[in-house]
Amino acid sequence: MDIKETLLNLSKLCGIGTVKEASEYAASILKNYCEVSEENGLTVVGEIKGNSDYTLILDAHIDEVGFIVTNISESGFLTVAKCGGIDLRHLPAKEVTVHTKSGKIPAVFVSTPPHLSHSDTVNKEIGDYKIDSLLGSLATSIISVGDFVTYRSLTSELLNGRLAGKSFDDRAGVVCLIELARRLKNKPLACNVKFLLSDAEELGLRGAKTSAFKHNADAAIAIDVSFGDGPDIKSSECGKLGEGAMIGISPVLDREITDKLTAIANHKAIPHQLEVMGGKTGTNADVISVTKSGIRTGLLSIPLRNMHTDNEIIDISDIISVCDILEEYILSGGVMSGK
Amino acid sequence: MENNFKTLCLTVAPSGSENYVRDTILKEISPFAECRVDNSGNIIAFKKGKKRSASKLMVDAHMDEVGVIVSSITDDGFLKFQTVGGIKNAVLLCRKIKFENGLIGVIGTKPVHLLSKDTAETIPDTDDLYIDIGATDSNDAKQHIKIGAYGVMLGDFAKSDKNLVCSKAIDDRAGCAILIDLLKNESEYDFYATFTVGEEIGTRGAKTAAYSVDPDFAIVLEATTAADIDSVSREKQVCKLSSGPVVSFMDNGTMYDRELFDAALSSDIPSQKKCGVSGGNNSASIHISRSGVRTLALSVPCRYIHSAACVCNYEDIENTLKLTRYMINKICSGEIN
Repeated sequence: MDIKETLLNLSKLCGIGTVKEASEYAASILKNYCEVSEENGLTVVGEIKGNSDYTLILDAHIDEVGFIVTNISESGFLTVAKCGGIDLRHLPAKEVTVHTKSGKIPAVFVSTPPHLSHSDTVNKEIGDYKIDSLLGSLATSIISVGDFVTYRSLTSELLNGRLAGKSFDDRAGVVCLIELARRLKNKPLACNVKFLLSDAEELGLRGAKTSAFKHNADAAIAIDVSFGDGPDIKSSECGKLGEGAMIGISPVLDREITDKLTAIANHKAIPHQLEVMGGKTGTNADVISVTKSGIRTGLLSIPLRNMHTDNEIIDISDIISVCDILEEYILSGGVMSGK
Repeated sequence: MENNFKTLCLTVAPSGSENYVRDTILKEISPFAECRVDNSGNIIAFKKGKKRSASKLMVDAHMDEVGVIVSSITDDGFLKFQTVGGIKNAVLLCRKIKFENGLIGVIGTKPVHLLSKDTAETIPDTDDLYIDIGATDSNDAKQHIKIGAYGVMLGDFAKSDKNLVCSKAIDDRAGCAILIDLLKNESEYDFYATFTVGEEIGTRGAKTAAYSVDPDFAIVLEATTAADIDSVSREKQVCKLSSGPVVSFMDNGTMYDRELFDAALSSDIPSQKKCGVSGGNNSASIHISRSGVRTLALSVPCRYIHSAACVCNYEDIENTLKLTRYMINKICSGEIN
């Protein structure tokens, strides 16, 4: 499996609500390396058995941010609601795809014509924005209320192995899981490893909550993205692209797992940086850790710029650092006990 | 014409750097017209028709598009830039930029999670925007991009079941595609065609092209703002997609020749008046060239103009082609003189 190629494919495909392109593709690749089951919604679970009853879940969410159609006008303009956190400022003239029952429709967010407004103003509500379906009066017969809408953005390569495109949050994490399954296949493992591609993270960590309940686990590590550096972001609020895996440190997270991840990264000289959070992490780790009687949980993140936009930017080398740390963690036995 | 139109839309050619689109156009038209490139960079082409024209006619479309120019590079390797032509910052945010050398960058923004209420409701100033090319620092960036490099907003080309096209630079590659088609096909009468530079920075190429051609009449082929959007009241919509070419009586640069205006609207080809006085185009330079040129503007109605995702109806382009041919014959036959 080529990490970059798989990631580019995952980025291009969509995963939201009932749209299963990305999860079906991920399942098809993951099947090469382990037993895979496709569960509720977009959820995909792979498993490699180990030599004990101890089970470790590795989680990355397969869903992406987007929109859902709430109204279709006779003249072909759509009103939508948000599915996840969206920066309204950048929506004007953004290309999107409407996922209808009869196929995908290219569409675009309306931008205010220059003669109507010389200054740049931001609508306060998503309900104030319109999407041009490019279908005029045909729209009402093709598009349905409740259809999902995703960004439509070409994925491009920047300098230094960096990529710009949509949905790297959290397809970058998904590709880590697939790569790990590849690396761990046929290796003797001290514990069972479940690869959880979870649904509905962007709606409030919902998929991981129910999946972690269903799949009994003793420990878990969430793999997500976190804020990457930029000129307008305080260095205390972000990680640096290209400087390795961000190891999460938070009261939500299990200190022993965190310490072990850090020790491995130090010992093996795997590029890494620490991400300290005083409370919740904003990732699936928050809900997995309090599932049933508690699951010891760690967090590794990939720094990402322009989060939740159609042009997120990641550095492939950071994805590889995450894989390297996790591979070593699992092969060395990880944390295999209760507290 | 459609393949040409797509190629033209996707070509990177902002004002000041029209080379790529000029090369594409010259390759298309050279077998069909006498062409030269003037000192400004305009293409001036003469189309030999079946008959001599009663008046000297110049048909114009501008080659350039709005874009950006790199003004400095930060220590961290981000590019600061200025806009070339009128672009609203809202359509720049998180947009990919493609540079002439093929390099891609993204105009970055702070993630929504970290925005305060105030910043979430404010579009940043151009001074606060930057292009992220993936460079690790300024030395890395400088190896791949120069200060003064030009780029454009990267767009795709999509077409709907209703013949609506969504792409970048429809302003004015639609006009270029029409003008190319006119040159590639047989013409009843002789006429001059100009593909001009620098429209977006003040209709500059048209000034020198009109001087050289020294026409009696001019037809300016353009794309103009259509605001036929649900949220816009009818009187502010200016013109509508799918209703044919837009004929202007007045805009911010020109009071148009009323006889040409009336003649264009009286054909059997679908057409509409531009119901509003806004914007401007090369007519501003052409109609006051030398001792004056009688000028007509025919525009393809276009939503979200000056963004990377403009929308027009391809049938409007076809009808603009038909109406242009109709007006060429009206003028060149001497029916209007």
